[in-house]
Amino acid sequence: MPVPVPVGVLRLPRGPEGSSRGFSPTSPRFQALLGEPAAAQGLRAALRERYLRGLGAARGRPARFCLRAGVCVEAVFGAADVGAVAFQVDALRTPLGVQAAALLRCTDVLAYSFLLD
Amino acid sequence: MNDWQRKSPLDWEKYVNKMVKVAAIEKHEYEGWVLTVDPVSASVVLATFLENEKVSISVVLGHAVQEVEILKEGDDEMKQRLSCIFAPEEGKAYSPEELEKRKNDLKTWLETNHIPVTEQGESGRTLCVVGVLTIDPPYGPEECSSSNEIILSRIQGLIQGYL
Repeated sequence: MPVPVPVGVLRLPRGPEGSSRGFSPTSPRFQALLGEPAAAQGLRAALRERYLRGLGAARGRPARFCLRAGVCVEAVFGAADVGAVAFQVDALRTPLGVQAAALLRCTDVLAYSFLLD
Repeated sequence: MNDWQRKSPLDWEKYVNKMVKVAAIEKHEYEGWVLTVDPVSASVVLATFLENEKVSISVVLGHAVQEVEILKEGDDEMKQRLSCIFAPEEGKAYSPEELEKRKNDLKTWLETNHIPVTEQGESGRTLCVVGVLTIDPPYGPEECSSSNEIILSRIQGLIQGYL
């Protein structure tokens, strides 16, 4: 029987939360994982699934981000991370020019919107 | 964390499929039909139907939400319309024989590449790779699921190259 070739493991650097789990252990989401009634868990999963599909629909579409102090910028939606820390965008239009790729911190963003066909 | 973020999924679910007005910080206001509330960030996803058949989606981040007021209930027709907005696309339909062939071809190819793969589930329709990743019919990259992101992306890449 052939010996399986081991798959190389990529060791990623620690995430911004410091625990490198991608989410904070004290967050309500993780607390809920420890002991939440099944009905609430089902709802949590359904709500999250819809939200993730929404993020998928936003990918590649021009979006308008409303930041603090009345600042609005336009960019092409790239991705969001697991712990809602930042958004990655392409072609960010700023007064200084167009940034090919950028990260917008979630704490700086109040709302964003995009059009669906 | 504000009051809105502290709510439970049971509370947030009560706003889904309703027309609401969201009062946000810095005196911003947003109106629309609630598609969902993200349980991680408590962000409210609103849909507004425009005149030209297009839909505008606005997401108000949870930390910016001050108050959410319900304006109207959605009827069954609206609920149906809202649930279709982000619905996944229908894939191509394969016959049972085609699916069996796709499964066996993929299994053989994985074994040729020294990747441990077994069949499991009812009538062996699910492939299990390295014991941590499963592949459901029709055995494309989208049908792979695993809790290990690294193995998931590696196997998806392999299958993408194979197909």
